[in-house]
Amino acid sequence: MSSNQKFTIGWLYSDLMNIYGDRGNVLTLARRAEWRGLDPKVIELGRGAGEDLNDVDVFFFGGGQDREQALIYDDLRRYKQDSLQKQVQDGAQILAVCGGYQLLGHYYQTAEGERFDGIGMLDVRTEAGKKRFIGDVVVQTAIEDLTPSTLVGFENHSGRTFLGDQAKPLGKVLHGRGNNGSDRTEGAVQGNIIGTYMHGSLLPKNPHLADHIIGRALRRRGVASLSHLDDSAELAAHGWILQRAQRG
Amino acid sequence: MIRKTAAVWAGKATGTLSRITRRGGGTTLPGDVARAIDPKILTELASDLTHGSIVITGTNGKTTTARIVSWLLEGAGHRVVSNRAGANLIFGATAAALNRAGANGTLKADWGVFEIDEASLPRAIKEIQPRATLVMNLFRDQLDRYGELESIAKKIEQALNDMSENATAVLNADDPRVAEIGLDLKRKPLWYGLEDERVASKTLPHAADARTCPRCGASLIFEAVYVGHDGVYRCPNHDFARPQPDIKATDIELHGFDSLAMTVEGTRIEMPLGGLYNCYNVLASFAAACSLGLDAKYVAERLKTFKAAFGRQERIDFRGRHLILVLSKNPAGFNEALRTAVELARGENFIIGLNDRKADGTDVSWIWDVDFEQLQNRAQTVIPAGVRAYDLTVRLKYAAVNAKEPQTDPGKALDELVRSTSEGDTAYVLCTYTAMLDIRAELVRRGWAQPYWET
Repeated sequence: MSSNQKFTIGWLYSDLMNIYGDRGNVLTLARRAEWRGLDPKVIELGRGAGEDLNDVDVFFFGGGQDREQALIYDDLRRYKQDSLQKQVQDGAQILAVCGGYQLLGHYYQTAEGERFDGIGMLDVRTEAGKKRFIGDVVVQTAIEDLTPSTLVGFENHSGRTFLGDQAKPLGKVLHGRGNNGSDRTEGAVQGNIIGTYMHGSLLPKNPHLADHIIGRALRRRGVASLSHLDDSAELAAHGWILQRAQRG
Repeated sequence: MIRKTAAVWAGKATGTLSRITRRGGGTTLPGDVARAIDPKILTELASDLTHGSIVITGTNGKTTTARIVSWLLEGAGHRVVSNRAGANLIFGATAAALNRAGANGTLKADWGVFEIDEASLPRAIKEIQPRATLVMNLFRDQLDRYGELESIAKKIEQALNDMSENATAVLNADDPRVAEIGLDLKRKPLWYGLEDERVASKTLPHAADARTCPRCGASLIFEAVYVGHDGVYRCPNHDFARPQPDIKATDIELHGFDSLAMTVEGTRIEMPLGGLYNCYNVLASFAAACSLGLDAKYVAERLKTFKAAFGRQERIDFRGRHLILVLSKNPAGFNEALRTAVELARGENFIIGLNDRKADGTDVSWIWDVDFEQLQNRAQTVIPAGVRAYDLTVRLKYAAVNAKEPQTDPGKALDELVRSTSEGDTAYVLCTYTAMLDIRAELVRRGWAQPYWET
């Protein structure tokens, strides 16, 4: 691995879509790349045209409050959709959490039946639910070769998301509610895109998932594998949530 | 009337019982019991006050501010009833009023000073019918409990409009979310704000929420940032701007956690509290006191002798070390506590405590919005503590802060702090609400601090 290998994180709407400690995900990607001798760079992709998305290895798209989500809605379709699609085809990865996850799907339907179109990069659809799902989540992940095989996080959403044929669940819910509270699925994986309701932040307590995303992104840059890191602090925090979930 | 008296008696009995059985300070349960007997009890007791009430809300600073306002009123010879122990839901306010009611069910006091949690404000205004309502700031806090900032702001605006004709809204002009609430009110509020660029930064912290114009959605331009998203701002399209403050603080001087000084409308104020965030609390108290008719010269004199509330820059000596306890419960508050401890007080030894009980907020993801990076290369000892010490350890690792082993047991955290702090040195304890209660309970158990309802 050459010491000046760049690793670029594109943070979509870092100023507006950042409600649930989403900085933790970006920081985890950047630090774990840095600890491997890579040269990480975070590009904040705000509203408007202008940024060059060509170098981005991993996009992060977090959740926002209703007002902020409304403010980026048009911008996403007008300025970001096409280049996101192109970059992902070329091997860039996307991690989307909560609001970001919903906006990557086909649509969000309000309680009154009004539909807001997403950008359809994930084969999922979301409908408003009555009760908010709030609490710890533990899932058994469907991604192969992840150790540990669990993912832990915190959910806080009223949307109910349902997966189409193209999307596979990120995991099976062992604790908490997940996508919709009824089919025991949580999140979605489709090609280079992962969507999920888990924050907390997600990646700091799931370093194996962070490395999975970094590894996939770097494969196209000719990086075959990532060196081992001491993850005892991260896995202790992961294990603490597992233990609490088991206690009920 | 009989019902009111019965409610007062039942509530008071519950309070006594809960103190005797050491189940806490008896700060909310009595309110619960009395309200079950007489749902209008708070309205009835509040109308017994000879002068009236002031209600104080905001994400950060309400306890300190309520305490300062009470201090000012008491010094002027008034009998004040207030919910002091941070019991800021409607039950806490009711319990405080009950505690001071006589055997005939009448509340014998001149002023009520109630700190009220943002979400409970509409109900509190309706029941208490205050003479003034103070809204200090709206930051992200406890997302699991409140839903989101937006809906709270709307409810507060409605509640302020529902106040009686002669009541005053005292609002922080520097907070865009508060300004948005105040600009469309039926009656003009009393605005206050800081004006001293020397203590301002130019860039918003990551945790800032109110970044966009509420009218056109454009990103606001900040000419000065004081605390969180509080500062001097305007919309680039001229759709919205910081209201001109009626009461301004200038010439600010900050001396660590020891003291602050500033000039408010020609009056020099000195105060034994530290940090820029306390400038806001003091200024808010000053504005509120003026709206209630207190004299500025008197206020300045009385402030010099103020003493901090439980866990708010409380000082405790522990085995030869000086501990400063600073309640820090959300990104804006934590950033300011860290800034004061690291930059102003040059602090080197820390316990950072994080719990995730209901009163702290069960979602701890906000720790990733706190700029713990401020501790990098400056802190000697950082001990992650509390129920979620393991999450803090990870946060500190990614902030490149060298931290000790996580300590979920408050006693062990304190022992570690004593081991790594030299005798005569100062250590800082920055904790969320119940994590602070746990540390304090341990200090009480060891005989180093008084139980909180006696302070």
